[in-house]
Amino acid sequence: MNAIRKKINPGWILVAPFLLLVVALYLGPIMNILWLSVTDPEPGLSNYQKLYQSDTMARIIWTTFRICVVTTIFSVFLGYWIAYAMVHCHQQQKNYMLAFLLVSFWISILVRTFSWLMLLGRKGLVNDALGGIGVISEPIAFMRNELGVLIGMVHYMVPYAVLPLLVNMQSLDMRVMNASRNLGATGTQTFWRVYLPLTTPGLVSSTLLVFILSLGFYVTPAVLGGGKVLMIAEYISVQLLVTLKWGTAAMLAALMLLGVLAMLYIMSQFMKLSTVFGGSSS
Amino acid sequence: MQDKQFMRETLTDGAKAFQAGKMNRRTFLTLCAMTGFATANVLAGKAEAAANEIVMWNWGGQSEECHGGAIGKPFEAATGMPLRFDTSGPLQGKIREMVDSGNVTADVCDADLFDSIALGPTGHLEAIDYDVVSKDKTLPHYALKYGVSIILYGYAFVYDTEAYGDNPPNSWADFFDTAKFPGKRSLYKWANGSLEAALMADGVAKDALYPLDMDRALTKLKSIKDDSLYWGSGSEAHSMVINGEVSMGMVWQNRGKNIEDDSDGQYKLVMNEALAMPGAYIVPKGNPAGREAIMKFIATAQEPAAQLKLLDCLGMTPSNPAAFAQIPENQQAYAITSAMNIDKVAFNDPVWWGENGGDAVNAFLDAIS
Repeated sequence: MNAIRKKINPGWILVAPFLLLVVALYLGPIMNILWLSVTDPEPGLSNYQKLYQSDTMARIIWTTFRICVVTTIFSVFLGYWIAYAMVHCHQQQKNYMLAFLLVSFWISILVRTFSWLMLLGRKGLVNDALGGIGVISEPIAFMRNELGVLIGMVHYMVPYAVLPLLVNMQSLDMRVMNASRNLGATGTQTFWRVYLPLTTPGLVSSTLLVFILSLGFYVTPAVLGGGKVLMIAEYISVQLLVTLKWGTAAMLAALMLLGVLAMLYIMSQFMKLSTVFGGSSS
Repeated sequence: MQDKQFMRETLTDGAKAFQAGKMNRRTFLTLCAMTGFATANVLAGKAEAAANEIVMWNWGGQSEECHGGAIGKPFEAATGMPLRFDTSGPLQGKIREMVDSGNVTADVCDADLFDSIALGPTGHLEAIDYDVVSKDKTLPHYALKYGVSIILYGYAFVYDTEAYGDNPPNSWADFFDTAKFPGKRSLYKWANGSLEAALMADGVAKDALYPLDMDRALTKLKSIKDDSLYWGSGSEAHSMVINGEVSMGMVWQNRGKNIEDDSDGQYKLVMNEALAMPGAYIVPKGNPAGREAIMKFIATAQEPAAQLKLLDCLGMTPSNPAAFAQIPENQQAYAITSAMNIDKVAFNDPVWWGENGGDAVNAFLDAIS
């Protein structure tokens, strides 16, 4: 008994029931999906062969990747800006900003998506106003294309980018920045050489969070893309529900899962993931 | 979805008992809390439709009012079995999943006839019992082994009378001619109707569409790709038109009247070369109410009275030839099988779609994305 105890931390016994629950309810279905991807419609790797045989797959994956990267860049940039302002402004203003951020965070994605159509649609507020004062003769095509998808996704993702950054920035010891100024660095130098490196964990975690969530986007591309911006999530749903090609759907799902895991692995080579997810940095 | 429905029903029953004073407030609140919490537990249990009612799986909207009034009421009067609804949309994948899981909670799906070709031979559907259901009460090609058409809907288009008032478009050829009729177009995202429209625009006769020449259809569709938007739901098609995003839009024909009304007549429906789609009732294998009851239910839905009520309520067109002559004056212009339109429309081939639909949808998505 003691020998076992030495090898296995007794804490595991406390966690064990929950671990089993997770395995049964979460890993089980995922395994089922992975299994489907090599057995439906026939056993073998035929579903995975489509990846390099079919231009469609390559294009859908490329579209998804491109949109996710652009969304992530803009969301994290805007998020950094907002978080920086929130940390350094007056407490009362900070509360207002946090309230606005959370309100938009909580509003349903459908509402947020459709409100962009009203604002930027062909006969939306902006196009009508610009047309009315004679700046443009033809409405600008903001929506129902890739630009529309990007606007909608960045808008949705900014709060996700802000929150990890905010937590990270709040925990910084401001005396470090004071010391930097005291030792003769300018404000700009202090930012680039001291502040920014200290916020790397926040940047990495918000980048990861935004990118991974973007991969699974479904509603926004479907509505704002006008049917022409096809991302993996929507394609999977069509294969499941309409064309009954469950093998293809499972293959793409497996691919996304592997993609995310690979990304986490690469990140872990550069830094401790536990810092990113809020664990101790030691 | 099934467990959600179970929760809803438990709560409704609880609420009724509470109102009737059979249950005290505390018990009712506990019930509310439990139905909120117990979702995970119920996954393991079986949430099934009771055998003494018919559950129709459809697409929501005004189903309580329309299907309930047209079919549910006469059926309940005759058999005592009420009609209930699951409005989550019986897509092929969901039906297959439901039957495969062995937890069948719907008795009849308001689906497409081509679904019966795709799901019937794989053992996911009950065969239609043509001793109870009549083959004469629908169009000749639309009474199939695993599904029977009750109503027809269709793909037609509306155009902006302000843009093309003097020389209105009247065919799919006009719809695809963006030089003569400049402006944006909207089409259905999941290939149905869009492929047929492209072929008719390219000169294929409306009774020689099948088997579809995919390459020809996709080439035609790509020719207006830059001017096209694609919609995935009826309401999206509706709003693309009403919000002025397109000057010609493919729509489900039964929404044509609403669009004309909502736009104060600015948009007008064109029924020429509309594609008639057989909406069908199909029965998941092992439906809870049993085969006998559900066949009687389908027979009730075949009656002209029921079909005319659905026409009045939802704009869905009767498929029973006995009802064609009774289509009222104000629906003549919009109904597919009215004397005015029946010779102008093309008819969908559910067998081709059932066998080739999956590949067609993927080829279409590839072409438009």
